[in-house]
Amino acid sequence: MNISPEEAARALGEIEASRAAMRTVIRSNRGHYFLWLWGGLWAVAALLVEFKGLHSLLIFRNWLMPAGIVVTFLILLCTQGKIRSPLNKRFIGVLATTVIFAFIWPLVLRGPGNARNDFAYGALMAMFCYIVAGIWFDVYLLRVGLLVSAILLASLFFFPALFWWSVVLSGVTLIGTGFYVRYFWR
Amino acid sequence: MDELDATIHQPARLQIMAALCQLKPLSQVDFTFLKTKLALTDGNLGAHLLTLEEKGCIAVEKTFVARRPKTFVSATAAGRRAFEAHAAALKAILKSK
Repeated sequence: MNISPEEAARALGEIEASRAAMRTVIRSNRGHYFLWLWGGLWAVAALLVEFKGLHSLLIFRNWLMPAGIVVTFLILLCTQGKIRSPLNKRFIGVLATTVIFAFIWPLVLRGPGNARNDFAYGALMAMFCYIVAGIWFDVYLLRVGLLVSAILLASLFFFPALFWWSVVLSGVTLIGTGFYVRYFWR
Repeated sequence: MDELDATIHQPARLQIMAALCQLKPLSQVDFTFLKTKLALTDGNLGAHLLTLEEKGCIAVEKTFVARRPKTFVSATAAGRRAFEAHAAALKAILKSK
């Protein structure tokens, strides 16, 4: 099969146009809504604790977190359909088992913790899921999981006075990653 | 040197393969969505998909979502290789100009 350079250029142009259109769709299906939602909730929770005191963490536990879970499921329902990636059932099984055990371990290993350690534990559990999902599916999840884990652990052990600000920073990191994957990913 | 693939070179099929190869391996795209995105009719897209499927470039999965029939399409590994080779051949022609 022989074609002219002009025809080749036209074909390459069509390929690029099709790729660009698909990239736009993929960008809108990359989970940025979850990063914005949970990054925002974390930041709000940490700011409430910083300025209103530890008791305001109850607002996060009793209202914001359940609302966040409901909105997460709503987003899942509304965004699925155009593109789907077959989920590895074994992977989902491993992740679900880890999350269940993560709830059980603290009950077995230690008594009631303080608010800071409890929040860090929950956040690190979520980041563990990001890291595992990143190893399986998408490298940005791995990177943001490692980065936020490092921020939280560094503040928890070395700068405890700044812990709630590190949670704000973690939330902003999640939100920023959401913007990156939505608008700048290629 | 890579050679042009006559099956893939047809404009609509070229667009289909470019769109599907942009997805991650094993990821699938909805037939209706692809039809809208590429501005093709049901029959036209269906015919092109059949040609590509017969050549082993794509895989078509028919399933039910919320009790409605849905068709999902994905590029196969062989299809991805053929498309990349075709794109490389096009670039080579352009370079030799």
